[in-house]
Amino acid sequence: MSIKRDIVLRVRIAFILTFLVAGAVVFRIAKIQFIEGEEWRSLGETLGMQVMNVKATRGNIYADDGSLLATSLPFYRLAIDPYLPTNGLYKNNIDSLCYLLSRYYGDLTPTQYKRKIDRARKDGRRYLTLNRQEIGYQDKKHMENWPLFREGRLKGGVLFEKVEKRFLPFSHLGIRTIGSVNANDRGTVGLEYSFNKQLAGVNGKGLYQKMAGGGWKPIYDGTEKRPVDGYDIQTTINVDLQDVTESALLDELQKHNADYGVAIVMEVKTGEIKAISNLSRNTDGDYYERYNYAVGNQGSREPGSTFKLASMIALLEEVDIKLTDTINTGDGSLEFFDKTMRDHKPGGFGTLTVQEVFEKSSNIGVAKLISQHFGNEPEKFINYLKRMNLHQPLDFQMVGEGKPYIKDPSDSTWSGVSLPWMSHGYELKMTPLQMLTLYNAVANNGKMVKPMIVKGVMKADRMVEEFETEVINDRIASKETLRKVKMMMEGVVERGTAQNINHSHYKIAGKTGTAKKVKNGRYVREYYTSFAGYFPAEAPRYSCIVVIDNPKGYQIYGSDVSAPVFKEIADKIYSLELDMHEVGTQERTYVTGVFPHIKAGKRDELTMICNELGISNHAKTEAEWVKTDVINDAVYWKGNTVKYEVIPDVRGMTLRDAIYVLENLGLKVKVNGRGRVATQSLAPGGRIAKGSTIKLQMS
Amino acid sequence: MRQDPLSQKTDWASVLLFGALVIAGWLNIYAAEYDPEIDQSIFDFGTSAGRQFIWILTSVVIAFTIFFFDYKFFDSFAYVIYGIIMAMLLFILIGGKEVAGSKSWLGIGGFGLQPSEFAKFAAALALAKYLSHSTRKLTDLNTLGVCFLIILLPMAMTILQGDTGTALVFTSLVVPMFREGMSPLLLIIAVSILLVFLLTLLISQTVLLVGIAIVTLLALGLNARNPKKLVYIIVSSIIVTFAVRSVDFILTDVLKPHQQKRVLSLVNPNIDPLGAGWNVTQSKIAIGSGGLIGKGFLEGTQTKFDFVPEQTTDFIFCTIGEEHGYLGSIIMLGLFTALLLRLVVLAERQKSTFSRVFGYGVVGIIFFHFTVNIAMTIGLFPVIGIPLPFFSYGGSSLWAFTILLFSFLKMDAHRMQVLQRL
Repeated sequence: MSIKRDIVLRVRIAFILTFLVAGAVVFRIAKIQFIEGEEWRSLGETLGMQVMNVKATRGNIYADDGSLLATSLPFYRLAIDPYLPTNGLYKNNIDSLCYLLSRYYGDLTPTQYKRKIDRARKDGRRYLTLNRQEIGYQDKKHMENWPLFREGRLKGGVLFEKVEKRFLPFSHLGIRTIGSVNANDRGTVGLEYSFNKQLAGVNGKGLYQKMAGGGWKPIYDGTEKRPVDGYDIQTTINVDLQDVTESALLDELQKHNADYGVAIVMEVKTGEIKAISNLSRNTDGDYYERYNYAVGNQGSREPGSTFKLASMIALLEEVDIKLTDTINTGDGSLEFFDKTMRDHKPGGFGTLTVQEVFEKSSNIGVAKLISQHFGNEPEKFINYLKRMNLHQPLDFQMVGEGKPYIKDPSDSTWSGVSLPWMSHGYELKMTPLQMLTLYNAVANNGKMVKPMIVKGVMKADRMVEEFETEVINDRIASKETLRKVKMMMEGVVERGTAQNINHSHYKIAGKTGTAKKVKNGRYVREYYTSFAGYFPAEAPRYSCIVVIDNPKGYQIYGSDVSAPVFKEIADKIYSLELDMHEVGTQERTYVTGVFPHIKAGKRDELTMICNELGISNHAKTEAEWVKTDVINDAVYWKGNTVKYEVIPDVRGMTLRDAIYVLENLGLKVKVNGRGRVATQSLAPGGRIAKGSTIKLQMS
Repeated sequence: MRQDPLSQKTDWASVLLFGALVIAGWLNIYAAEYDPEIDQSIFDFGTSAGRQFIWILTSVVIAFTIFFFDYKFFDSFAYVIYGIIMAMLLFILIGGKEVAGSKSWLGIGGFGLQPSEFAKFAAALALAKYLSHSTRKLTDLNTLGVCFLIILLPMAMTILQGDTGTALVFTSLVVPMFREGMSPLLLIIAVSILLVFLLTLLISQTVLLVGIAIVTLLALGLNARNPKKLVYIIVSSIIVTFAVRSVDFILTDVLKPHQQKRVLSLVNPNIDPLGAGWNVTQSKIAIGSGGLIGKGFLEGTQTKFDFVPEQTTDFIFCTIGEEHGYLGSIIMLGLFTALLLRLVVLAERQKSTFSRVFGYGVVGIIFFHFTVNIAMTIGLFPVIGIPLPFFSYGGSSLWAFTILLFSFLKMDAHRMQVLQRL
């Protein structure tokens, strides 16, 4: 009986235990579903959800003809979830993976990579940046096939963190003016900074839910805020002129081992800046765009003789003086109170006409003339300067414009020497851009326009905000005065200090400037040279200023250092802009037997070349980019369509054209050899993977 | 002499319950993966449901095959089967492939099998065979030792494979041992240690030790006149104290990091709701959002999109909870309870010790799987990753449970013949 009782007892215990467990389960389910139901439901809606920023794509910066100056391209940073792969997968793949990582990045040995990943895996870390270097799309594609990585994100744990990087198709061209962005995609300098608001767009917000395995998926619940992509900026920069300006400036800077240089080219009528270059030397002696001296505060300097233009205008406005009136400048040195003023010609100029004072740039002549007529009431002279708006900043489109400094007789620093020294460009400060604005106003028949560098803000092809040329001052001086100063400025090049840049084909008008620099309150033998002017003098189209700071060696004058850059820029622009040439004066030369090498390029440019060379050419197409058929002595243009997302045929193009076309489509170009494009590594007609590399073999 | 047709002796109630559970499981696997935008077919082999269909068909074949075996087969070959399976486990330990952190798969051609699933069956057989000898008494320490050896051998190997969940299942074989006369004291001690372990996680050790001291003193005072009991009490309080002190050691040194997190998140799932507690929290959200009658077949949202991991395998129960609500869950629990109760009745009516022990083994294994699986989906038990019998997706698991159940049903069908043999 006891055995039976024992068994029954056991069965009862078993049943009681079973029912206890079953009861607990039933109760727990009921609790979850009824008592806590609401809570779980609402938790389900919120848990693992997170509002995350959705990045807006930054706008592009375009040149005046629509060429891309700055754009955003995707790059990737490689990371891994080292904890995710299973042991077997990890063990089988980690060695070969580390070998590949080491070979690709070259910074750590395979063993170091392995140790790094092993440790992170041991610590249970879920995110490990393998290398901070940003890799392109093509490399990313390639890496996706690496061991472990090919298992994908959910098994292999590979993570490609996308970063948008600013890409400048023209590399360093105008880089300081275009500007740069920081890691957060915020503009830090240049146009990127000044127009950051427009370019950046508005980041969106979206609700994301965490998925099993750690990924996030977007929840489209209607509350998401879509990112508004940034607007594009249409600048006035002309890529060709910018290139010309930059290389001319660079050559001269290197020749004179100068500290920095500025060159600005402005369209006279509109005030549009066509080129702006700032190059400063680093400690290695190389020149880079590092600071915008043309616009910024550090560029605001004592201009020297280029300011004599303003003095002359004031003088001619104030008194009815003839350019042929004479003044004795003496032996080249003159005492003003405790200070001695000198002319640059040893022994002095003696007696000069007013015109010669300007053309030969006699400091004493200008100072004497100004002192004679304004000595009793210097504020009158200052008022003339103010009427030319020289005391006000330009309210330029780029942030950080340097303020001009024009001294007033009421200033505490005003002294007896202030007026004579101001008259030839000392005791006052201006930026190159402000000075250029004055010269441009003269070229523009007295109408002072505000310089501009951004023509408009665009969304796709639609203009969102367009900037018109603003007039600062309708007429800075009388017609007569302008006629006189123009004549004198032409004289500077024809007979005066800048004879060395005299040219037979077209006329340049301008003024040299050489200012001694102040160090520790004393003027030292370091110079700030400049040349400002415009061309062609008869019908001014462009004004330009070139500033070269602290040239070394025996050539230290504006005429020797800055003026040649001006001329080189002017020459190149003149040769580029054929409509500047007087029509009918050109002779057409026909060279029989030598047919030019015309293969492919931009249609209007090729047409122009052919017209110039007198080659019969016929268009079969209206396309922008063409290839050629040469039939006998005539050229036929065939369309070479450049379509988005399709790899274009660049064979036969010059490198400049090819790079332009390809980089515009988001491809990276690698070049081998010189000449024209012979072969391209990606076949024409294929689909473009943005960011992939195309190799061009030139010959 | 031919007996009544086999079909008349088969316990059709169990077979029907088995069929109901398997088909319900299949439908829920389909629902768990169902994406309304793709609208897959339940027979699509690209989905788990489609593959499960194949497993179900092959399981039916296996069930039939078992019925064509000689009923003496299991009795005669119990040790042989045990030996083969143990050899397979050993082989896997040396050269198996690794899936999800454990090395428990045996690759045969294109697909893998998990021998550890079949080891439960083998261990139950071997235990039954061993206990079927009339000389064995579970009050005898020798017998007890051999029984534990039979259980601990596969258990140790599955632990070494990294599959702690499956290893724990072998402890369910104490159910037949208990039925056959093992002292409940062992069971009580085991349960107490488990309780102490959980309490240690909830309460500070100092408080717990003081509590143990008080309880021990009280017990000593109450049993002051019985020296034998005093020894028991002192020994057990020492063991319990040791258990408390060892919790830290077990937590940090024995358990793997993911297991530690699971144990800790059981105590407080809000510690790391997006990390270790993620599975259970998501599972509770799914079940909690089901309400009384659920959202309806294929209408679940929480169980879609892989919110709940292991959706078709270990966490299949939340699909039921979400889509069929409390009623569906209770019906499913009812089906399981009915099957288990039916199997207890069958086990109890066996004429031979062998089939009775095996029957209780089957009951114990299914009960353990069923309870622990559901308990972990509703946060009553740490997530140890064992499937819900007949329900969860997976060939090895379904095959193993089919073999387990139908070999017992085969024995049951022949229970009268056992007597004739004797």
